[in-house]
Amino acid sequence: MHEVIEFEKVSFRYPDEEKWILEGLSFTVLRGERIVITGPSGCGKTTLLYLCNRLYPDNCDGILSGSIKLFGKDSLSFIPGEINHRIATVFQDPDAQFCMQTVEEELAFTLENLHTKRDEMEKRISDVLTLTDLTEFRHAIIQKLSGGQKQRIATACALIMEPEILLLDEPLSHLDPFTAKKYVEWLDNLQQKRTMTIIAIEHRLDLWGDFFERNIPLHNGKVTSKLEKRVSSTQENNSLVVSKVQAMPFLKETTFTLNHGEVTVLAGPNGSGKSTLLKALCQLIPSTGTVVPLNLGYVPQSPEFLFLTQNVLDEVSFGGGNSSMEMMTRLQLLPIADSHPFSVSHGQKRRVAIAAMLCDGREIILMDEPTSGQDSAALFELFHLIDERAREGTTFLIVTHDMEFAHYLADSVLLMKDGQLTGKFNAEAVWEDRKLLMDHHLLRPKGVIGHEECFA
Amino acid sequence: MKNALHKMNPSIKFLAITICMFTMAFFFDPWTPLVFWIGVLVLQLLFTQISWKKWLLFMLPFFVTAFGYFWTTLVFAEDQSGPVVWSIWNLQVTQTQLNHALSLSFRVMAFSSLSLLFALTTNPVTFILSLMQQLKLSPKIAYGVMVGYQFLPVLKDEFVQIRQAHRLRGATKEKNALQRLFGIRRILIPMLAGAVRKAERAAFAMEARGFTGDRRSSYFHVITIGKVDFALVSLFLVVLVLSCSNMLWLRL
Repeated sequence: MHEVIEFEKVSFRYPDEEKWILEGLSFTVLRGERIVITGPSGCGKTTLLYLCNRLYPDNCDGILSGSIKLFGKDSLSFIPGEINHRIATVFQDPDAQFCMQTVEEELAFTLENLHTKRDEMEKRISDVLTLTDLTEFRHAIIQKLSGGQKQRIATACALIMEPEILLLDEPLSHLDPFTAKKYVEWLDNLQQKRTMTIIAIEHRLDLWGDFFERNIPLHNGKVTSKLEKRVSSTQENNSLVVSKVQAMPFLKETTFTLNHGEVTVLAGPNGSGKSTLLKALCQLIPSTGTVVPLNLGYVPQSPEFLFLTQNVLDEVSFGGGNSSMEMMTRLQLLPIADSHPFSVSHGQKRRVAIAAMLCDGREIILMDEPTSGQDSAALFELFHLIDERAREGTTFLIVTHDMEFAHYLADSVLLMKDGQLTGKFNAEAVWEDRKLLMDHHLLRPKGVIGHEECFA
Repeated sequence: MKNALHKMNPSIKFLAITICMFTMAFFFDPWTPLVFWIGVLVLQLLFTQISWKKWLLFMLPFFVTAFGYFWTTLVFAEDQSGPVVWSIWNLQVTQTQLNHALSLSFRVMAFSSLSLLFALTTNPVTFILSLMQQLKLSPKIAYGVMVGYQFLPVLKDEFVQIRQAHRLRGATKEKNALQRLFGIRRILIPMLAGAVRKAERAAFAMEARGFTGDRRSSYFHVITIGKVDFALVSLFLVVLVLSCSNMLWLRL
């Protein structure tokens, strides 16, 4: 056993910021270790990972003090891209880690970078695809695959380098819980076969079981509160009646109703048509059937897609509603009323989007994957945002993979598979029905099982 | 045979076409570009599978431009010497004027069909790979362009999503064209902001794949040069020579 990564009194800050994002950090990683880095969002987890593969400080002109040694050599002595042959990285965003069009080309690109001989390439490509169980995607166009599939392909691309160290940045955030569990098992086998060192960023450790041997916690002194199961605020009367909605060619006939103040989670495997259903309900894509009322609020995964004006106040009152000041107060947006909607934080952007929807008189809010890539503090904020609105009678329909979050939040659950709505279920009943969960690639939330195994 | 030009080495094709274009630039009579244009169309007919409907659609703006050149040269020509060959209303068209006008519009046709021939038979990715392998284009530039190319469909999806979101907000279509042009800004700003972020992350991704910008020692996808390439280059040259020497055999 010897050290592969050594940090000694490392401090780092971005050129345009006063505050050190990492300060006096020292640790060593030994060959073959499995390490997780935890901490709230913005505490420098990703920065730390980028220091490990030498993307920083070069690419951001950051200021670094202390010493980082990779394989016993100073990290600054490597040229860009050189160390990445031995330290492979899987990034968090599935859309921004591919350079080529098809899976095969991407793998070949990696091998060309390593100066692999041409006659070896074919074998290494088919080997890694067999290993990762992705052979069927060999000629697939990467951009057309789902987030979860992209994430698995990114891992294959990292593995084909036969790296000594594998860095993973929240590898599970785009996988449905079932696929995530399989991914962890598979990584476990692989690590034992190849004795790689694995360093991962993760703030949700429940899916990993006892995979990691050691935790490097990064703290900014902020302790986040735990979520608690919310008290249902469902009222008696219907607020949304959907009947026989159908969108060609994928979405099959869908009928359901939601009540005032009801929080419903829409769940199902990757690519089962959840986003398509939301869009069909909002008449963003051509569909047949009836939706009452017609005016639904919709918050896409990137809320900034909604923004049309130069400041938050204008944004909220854009639709012409006359209660914009009241809405601003209720959603705590007054302090940022004059800011540009693009310049506020991600959580605030979502707040602005919801305020604008409510101000337009859209009393039913559909949200597409609001939880993806959010840390526990942001989830906590999102939870309260939804909870408070629901108490005021707003109806929510939320697409999410995060069953933990769904468990705390949902009154009812809509399950979906292959473009077909399986039905609407009472939330409690769904968590108990193992077969139903299994069929929809969902795992029971830990909160139901009754114990929480998190380092964080 | 029918897809020979599709399979031709893109760099060789590019060079052949560039030579043709440069040579044609030195001829100012109407016949050379006309013969050349016909030659290009014959090549297209024999060695490509381009759908003529698609071709016509792409050519439409060039037809309009060619006619525009033709007409403006007729009406506003400076050099009005030579015998009058044609008169409409009170406009006297002389031999020189007509020649200039025809020459210009046939040039437009010849150049645009030649460019379309290249564009419609060449896969951009293969073209860049070939530029890198045959013409020693730096991998840094080549892969930079290729990564940018991958983003086009993502940008298109984003454009659709933003438009949908805006429609939901009730951002109605502006009435006049100028306002609509201004309205585009609302879609472009989020897209540009996203593009800057994407570019940065793509650079990271390339570096993380071990891309150093070095010359590569071997390629997975090798773009070859074969006998067919030489045959096709010869054909291009035959067309070029025939059209340049038209005064020798076209006795008009």
